[in-house]
Amino acid sequence: MIRRLAVGLAAVALVAAAAVGLIRSATPAGRVDPGAAIAAGLRCPACQGESVADSRSPIAASMRQVIADQSAQGRSPAEIRRWFVARYGEEVLAEPPARGPGLLLWLVPAVALLGTGIAAARTLRARPRAGPAPGRRRRSRRPVWWLTAGGLVALVATVAVAADRLAPPVVTPRADPTAVALRLAQDLEGQQRYDAAAQMYREALRERPDDAVRLRLAFALLRAADAAGAERTARDVLDHAPRSPDGLLVLGLAQRTTHPGEAPATLRRFLAVAPTHPAAAEIRRLLDGGAKARTG
Amino acid sequence: MNRRTSRWGRIRPVPATALLVAVAAAALVAARLPGPTDPGPAPAAPALAGATLDGGRFDLAALRGQVVLVNVFASWCGPCRDELPLLAETGRQWSSRGLRVVGLNLRDGPDAVRPLLAQSRAAELTVVPDPDGARSVEWGVRGVPETFLVDRDGRIVAHRPGVVTRQWLDEHLSALLAAP
Amino acid sequence: MLGELGTAGLVAGLLAAPLAALLWLRVALTGAPARPARLASVGALCAAVAACAVLEAALLGHDFGVRFVAENGGRHVPGYYTVTSLWSAMDGSLLLWLLVLGGYGALLARGRPDRLRAYAMVVVSVVTTFFFALSTFAANPFRSVQPAPPDGPGPNPLLQEHAAMGVHPPLLYAGYLGMVVPFALALAAPLAGPAGRNWLRVARPWALVAWTALTAGIVLGAWWSYAVLGWGGYWAWDPVENASLLPWLTTTAFLHTSLDGGRGRELWNSVLACAGFLLVLLGTLLTRSGAVASVHAFTESPLGPLLLGFVLLAVLAATALTARRRPVPARAGVRPWSRSTAVLVNAVALVTVAAVVLIGTVLPLLAEPLAGARASVGPGYYHRTAVPLAVVVLLLAGLPPALRVRDRAGVLRRLALPGAAALATVAGVGLLGRPGPAALTAFGAAAFVLTGLVTARDDRAAAGGRRRLPAATLGHAGLALLAVGVAASATYERVDERTLRTGETVRVGDVSARLESVQRSAPGGRMTVRARLAVSSGGHTRTAAPALRYDPARDMAVTVPAIDAGPRRDVYLTLLAVAADGTGATVRLAVNPLVGLVWAGGAVGVAAGLLALADTLRARRRRPPRDTGVAARAAVPA
Repeated sequence: MIRRLAVGLAAVALVAAAAVGLIRSATPAGRVDPGAAIAAGLRCPACQGESVADSRSPIAASMRQVIADQSAQGRSPAEIRRWFVARYGEEVLAEPPARGPGLLLWLVPAVALLGTGIAAARTLRARPRAGPAPGRRRRSRRPVWWLTAGGLVALVATVAVAADRLAPPVVTPRADPTAVALRLAQDLEGQQRYDAAAQMYREALRERPDDAVRLRLAFALLRAADAAGAERTARDVLDHAPRSPDGLLVLGLAQRTTHPGEAPATLRRFLAVAPTHPAAAEIRRLLDGGAKARTG
Repeated sequence: MNRRTSRWGRIRPVPATALLVAVAAAALVAARLPGPTDPGPAPAAPALAGATLDGGRFDLAALRGQVVLVNVFASWCGPCRDELPLLAETGRQWSSRGLRVVGLNLRDGPDAVRPLLAQSRAAELTVVPDPDGARSVEWGVRGVPETFLVDRDGRIVAHRPGVVTRQWLDEHLSALLAAP
Repeated sequence: MLGELGTAGLVAGLLAAPLAALLWLRVALTGAPARPARLASVGALCAAVAACAVLEAALLGHDFGVRFVAENGGRHVPGYYTVTSLWSAMDGSLLLWLLVLGGYGALLARGRPDRLRAYAMVVVSVVTTFFFALSTFAANPFRSVQPAPPDGPGPNPLLQEHAAMGVHPPLLYAGYLGMVVPFALALAAPLAGPAGRNWLRVARPWALVAWTALTAGIVLGAWWSYAVLGWGGYWAWDPVENASLLPWLTTTAFLHTSLDGGRGRELWNSVLACAGFLLVLLGTLLTRSGAVASVHAFTESPLGPLLLGFVLLAVLAATALTARRRPVPARAGVRPWSRSTAVLVNAVALVTVAAVVLIGTVLPLLAEPLAGARASVGPGYYHRTAVPLAVVVLLLAGLPPALRVRDRAGVLRRLALPGAAALATVAGVGLLGRPGPAALTAFGAAAFVLTGLVTARDDRAAAGGRRRLPAATLGHAGLALLAVGVAASATYERVDERTLRTGETVRVGDVSARLESVQRSAPGGRMTVRARLAVSSGGHTRTAAPALRYDPARDMAVTVPAIDAGPRRDVYLTLLAVAADGTGATVRLAVNPLVGLVWAGGAVGVAAGLLALADTLRARRRRPPRDTGVAARAAVPA
């Protein structure tokens, strides 16, 4: 009797403690940032499946900023959400409102729960003997076989025809003149026709003012023994990328012809910027050799 | 009723319903394919005013009567860099017919933008910095680049997320600029 | 040249697969010898092997004249990732799909050629035919490119960051396509006459194989997402993840309803067996046709409408064949305190979770034609719907030991200790911290399951019972571990994000990270920025080097996190941005407690699947094949 009472009391105490724990745990600790809650309820429009709170895309960062600004102005979370819906449409909400198609989110699981629940209840119930099995007519086999064969052919044919019909019209990429010029230039370089290659690079450069192309041009000019041209081009590159290793390399090599006094300084800067560059060892040897020649 | 084994009596209701729902859902998915959406009336463009990169002032409201192309861009975005020369060229080409091209520079620094403008031959482009992105959000920007076309009455008549093409510009601008 | 060879392989498969279907139909209808049909099935497998081998050869040989290689190959890609780039994009992964499908077909063809297996092979061969046709006509990776480009962009850089890339997709496919066998057997059963009554016994081991592979694939995928994507989590409820979860849920339900020979649950078994593969097809449609990602991607590729048509065809066939009214044997009612009840409640809960995940995934597709407005469904929806149902499933996993006794009082007595443990856990954890109701109930339910399993072992030993660990116990323990890991890491994760200059420190709890240096390098055209940080926690200091990689060929940046995994917690560092002058960096420092339990729980689940498979096969060998009693437990020697 006493044992029973003790067990009962312990059970009640446990349930009560668990309930208190659950209730305490359900109330959030401390102050919650309302902005974070709003951001978590908005979908980042530039991402896939990330909320504004989680995303690191710049537009999500901007949206967090806007939420913080508007909260500071005293707008309510609902107002802020409406403001975003007005600009981005309802898809900005991480969860569609429970009306219209959003209702399906609750309706479909409810129907599934109800349907499977009823089915489970029927399965558990006792079942009387069912009526006799409906007599199955014995079908001739030949038509089944031919029907299946026809069906298979139809399946394959459908896929073949539909694939052809549904495929988007093949857009033949317009030959990109720059890419063609670059390829040609590289081929010419391979044939050691550096003058012609430089000409092709100049053409490509007109279409695409790009440092990578400029550097190729500079190298080609250097090989074509046009040191002044190479220096000019390398300086163009260094104007917007002062630490470009290839730019410094070409400039230094060109200066060996045009301004031999400045070349070692440029090449040393190149070594400082890119000590592991594939050409670094060669340049080091060059600089050491130069130094020895002067002292020796 | 067990004896009544007519053709229809042997169909179970639940699987039949499931099948119907599946077909309906598939039809919906298929119906989604070509969606001629009615754009509705063109919305009024949100306000856009503030100091420009070169220290001037810009106010979209003051440009009623002109067609304004607002391009949201940033120097850290590759496609934006690629389309800037085209936008600058378009601005030069049509400025006499009343087109203004404005760059809204999203979360970027002037040190990064100035070399980009010089390199893209777009130095004369009006650029409104948007360091914290609030202006872009006001415009409902989803990502960079994104371009809005505001007509002479201050309404957004066209909107292009992603890179603009010459074809898109010609198509939308020629109609707007033809009207006086 | 390689391109023509590959296309020839596909065409050979396209001939072999329908031939196999017709030959197997002949076996089923007339009892003709099965040898030619078997040969045709093996032929389809060989064709798939050849196509895969040719594409691999083209990838490894940098034959950029082949379209798939031009789009996904690259000279700068390391050898391992060149091999795995076969499944880094749609068209190539369809070949892997065919390879696995052909493999399952050839394996099933080896069995005794009764009418049941013959009809099932017809179904498998028809499915194989469809996918061969799809690969040949709609997504042929072997089309030639004129002129051949000199180099390719390489596969998506995200798919070149983790060795799991070599195992994850094949495992996932082994899981997906394994479901074709239970599906085919469920369809074959009503056609095969007396032989069909045995279908569940044949299907169960295949379902176990598929379930185990799919579990391993999903857990590996989560791990990959955690270790590569660098966002700090492992599950985002995105369509691709959901697509893999859907068949897992219904197959888990099937593995339970088919227990004890599945007596009294005939319709449940056939519907759940079909649902697994139908959901695989649906998931493929949703994720591979681009239907979910964007409308336009769906129309741009012919795959979407074709797959949609095939899904409808499969649904139609499944409904027509399994929905026919069949005479059911008479049966007494089921005791409410029994395993049958628990199995059915479990099936109801799992199917409802599947309904939640399914509607959450397809709603964005349905919303536009229904209401003209786009909609999106975020993780919040799943947290409110799927998580409570998952806690119910977890509680059910604690019941089997108690349900071994037959009377109500005995069951309740056996539930007393686990119940008390659960309540004590809820009380203790709830009063000490505030994890939120979902995590708290998950902790309680896990305590319930684990205590129940441990005490059950004791009483079995006392009774001189079996010493071997039953697979179910192991599987349920894995589920409980997983639940604790998920709840703890979701609740107690602590994060800080800060822009640091060299020498400055970011701190989370007792973990601090000091920025030492930022280095840039550009090996093989991919620019890499690496930050070195000294991470100290609990008196130890180590160096961590999270990185940012930029792939110019695809204009895409990859965040490579530095993870220090421990049994108690993971320290997870990501580099978000670097200052242009290289003296500062924006760093995210996260401390994720007990994440290891997620992987451990998954591994235990996989082990349980393998154990169950071994048990079933061993029991099969000891029993005459006519016996319909499937329960492996009954056959394990005392």
